[in-house]
Amino acid sequence: MPKIKNVSDLEKLALRRKKENSAYKKIITVCAGTGCSASGCGDVLKWLRVELSRKKLTRKIKIRTTGCHGFCEQGPLMVIEPGNIFYCQVNPNDIPEIISESIASDKIVERLLYKDPATGHKVIREKDVPFYKSQDRTVLGQNKLVDPCDIIDYISNGGYSALAKVLGKVNPETVIEEVKESGLRGRGGGGFPTGKKWEYCRRAEGTPKYVICNADEGDPGAYMDRSILEGNPHAVLEGMLIGAYAIGASHGFIYVRNEYPLAVQHSREAVREAEDLGLLGKNILGKSFSFDIKIARGGGAFVCGESTALMASLEGKVGEPRPKDIHTTDRGFMDFPTNLNNVETWANVPSIINRGAAWFAGKGKGKSKGTKIFALTGKIKNTGLVEVPMGLSIREVIYDIGGGSSTGKRIKAVQTGGPSGGCIPERLFDLEVDFEALSNAGSMVGSGGMVVMDESTCMVDVAKYFLSFLIDESCGKCVPCRIGLSRMLEIINDITSGNGTEDKLNLLRDTAQTVSIASLCALGKTAPNPVLSTLEHFREEYDAHIKEKRCPAGVCKALVRYRIDKKKCKGCGACLKACPHGAVVKKGSIYGINNAACQKCGICKETCKFCAITVA
Amino acid sequence: MNGTNRYVTLKIDGAIVHAMAGTSVLDTALSYGICIPHLCHMKDLMPAGLCRLCIVEHVKNGKSKVTASCTLEVEEGMVILAHTEKILKARKNIAEMLVAEAPNSRAIQDIAVRCGVKNVRYPFRNKACVLCGRCVRACGEIWRSKSLGFVGRGSERRVALPLNERPEYCKKCNACIDLCPMTITPCPGPMKKGEEYLCGLCESQLSMAKDIEDTCVSCRLGDGFDCVRKRS
Repeated sequence: MPKIKNVSDLEKLALRRKKENSAYKKIITVCAGTGCSASGCGDVLKWLRVELSRKKLTRKIKIRTTGCHGFCEQGPLMVIEPGNIFYCQVNPNDIPEIISESIASDKIVERLLYKDPATGHKVIREKDVPFYKSQDRTVLGQNKLVDPCDIIDYISNGGYSALAKVLGKVNPETVIEEVKESGLRGRGGGGFPTGKKWEYCRRAEGTPKYVICNADEGDPGAYMDRSILEGNPHAVLEGMLIGAYAIGASHGFIYVRNEYPLAVQHSREAVREAEDLGLLGKNILGKSFSFDIKIARGGGAFVCGESTALMASLEGKVGEPRPKDIHTTDRGFMDFPTNLNNVETWANVPSIINRGAAWFAGKGKGKSKGTKIFALTGKIKNTGLVEVPMGLSIREVIYDIGGGSSTGKRIKAVQTGGPSGGCIPERLFDLEVDFEALSNAGSMVGSGGMVVMDESTCMVDVAKYFLSFLIDESCGKCVPCRIGLSRMLEIINDITSGNGTEDKLNLLRDTAQTVSIASLCALGKTAPNPVLSTLEHFREEYDAHIKEKRCPAGVCKALVRYRIDKKKCKGCGACLKACPHGAVVKKGSIYGINNAACQKCGICKETCKFCAITVA
Repeated sequence: MNGTNRYVTLKIDGAIVHAMAGTSVLDTALSYGICIPHLCHMKDLMPAGLCRLCIVEHVKNGKSKVTASCTLEVEEGMVILAHTEKILKARKNIAEMLVAEAPNSRAIQDIAVRCGVKNVRYPFRNKACVLCGRCVRACGEIWRSKSLGFVGRGSERRVALPLNERPEYCKKCNACIDLCPMTITPCPGPMKKGEEYLCGLCESQLSMAKDIEDTCVSCRLGDGFDCVRKRS
């Protein structure tokens, strides 16, 4: 393919693709993101192709394999255009029917439509699905429009037009000014103003300068960066190109986790395609701006998501953070000025340039502008990726978009911001999701994970889980993080095993505070958040563990006891057969539990059809 | 660094001090006799900021940021607070963690006592190494030998020889042993199970420092941990 030399070449390509697309009778978009791949979209795609070729429809119908659409709970997802018909939980067996009904004619397969649980009505069009309706999918919305491995698809949707708009026409300072005005802040967790960072890096002395895209996303339950990089890698490349032009950088890196094979593959493919078209390399778009991007794969250390550790890892050193008294914008990768931003931040840049800073600043509230992607997981109906304007309340995100609790039990808390975030209790759900409000509540926006917890979750156990995760992932370089966290876990283990005391709780708080102020890097500084926030908002649960030696949620095994309700027990003996430890004993016509032998596995409770077995 | 012989003026705990640009806040404070406890820092070695004992508050634009003073370079007009309540509390807690890791080290006991640790609330672990990295850095930086290094991540981190064997390029200088906080006058205090306490010598030093303000507690740290008060 000939290289793109100017804007008109770009427009010609876009026009040609649009013409090609309009020749198709219908376009079937199949989500092949993380969630849908797991629920079997590979087979759906295979059979779709087989069936289309059998019906000799391949020339009339286009299949577009795209990245994540976000509604992972209902995957595999399929959207048929024109008509915006939305099918969910598609199975390979449904393919013949879909083709004969919706492709060959214009009918709708009723049973594959999404059923709104609130009203019970079937929803035909994708945009009417309640999950999508209250969202503002500026970044993620592009995913369903483009094939990630086809650069022309991206160009035909207005891709690289932002680059063409600024390159050689707008001076770099103005670009930075535009980004500053938009109020875009780092989406990786810190929330540092992006424009300001670019400005510092531009002013810094030393060449060459580097830009880095941080795709080392490691939070349990968070996969927004993955979905962007898998579904729309060119948006990230374009953002990096604009950033590099503004900063004056000539080299770039995408540091992506090796555990994301599809993201690695798609970003590699994207870089290759962009190089082929001359959008990366020397004299981009015929201007005197040269920029290249290399893909670096991360080895799986959570701490390498921290900027200085990431740069050390890129240099080939051990991935350990260094003190940040000198900013990376002054001395970063190989001691050269380096600007590092998160995937989502870079992906936001092209639309800011295209639609203007005022458009972006119009979304969001207070100091937090634009939209943010959240990964809703846990005990929630609509698991998936949600993109909302900042400043929406947590309640709206969880109940209106997320659909509320999936278990029927009351939602107790939400854990935001990944392992270093905090737990926000139900009574604070009217809190607006922005950088300041969440950090005031002892949590943070972080990378945007939201783990919803219901009443069957023990908050002490949650704190223990995140603490053990962070101990595993701590680099062990500085004393507060290495020793402090292990001491905190020691105390929490004591509490959950029934050996907690009031003194130990005070010591836990003291240690947590020390770790949070004295640690070397952001991992250590934020690591006590799960403990501190649960201590603040769920003190009564800690008290129950310590004073009453009782776990209210029935999770901490050392503190629970199984009991058979004499009135409810019908004497069927199912529990006796089910118990692998021989702890169920016959007491006359009914049964009882021998607590000395009970291993608290809970099998008897699951077996009992009369709900006679209780945990307390 | 540009302008190495340029002097800057800064304030540490209210005292106006001068320092050459490029030096660290910790070195400056020590040379003025402002005692900031530290373990991993050593003159002639690159600062690492590992032990976090030397944390100070750096007040900038009305906001205070806690950072290690050994990795913080002096700047014109800087305001440093090394002994605020917040810092003292955190420092005491860090010293408590350290002494619970390796209660047999006199050097660490001294530090703990200077930081005001009277009783240790954590169970003792009786480790032989607190990973201060003095040996690793001295070996690599002073002798350019790199016969020692850190191995493992997180709780598995330890100091080790390459492939667990003394390499040929080891210069047998013994710096690693001389600089180790475990080897500086081993603590006579018994640290058997059930008999865990800080030794009385350190206690008496503490009471002395409390009674007479601003006196040197002769804490033996001067031997290996250059405290300027000791010399005066």
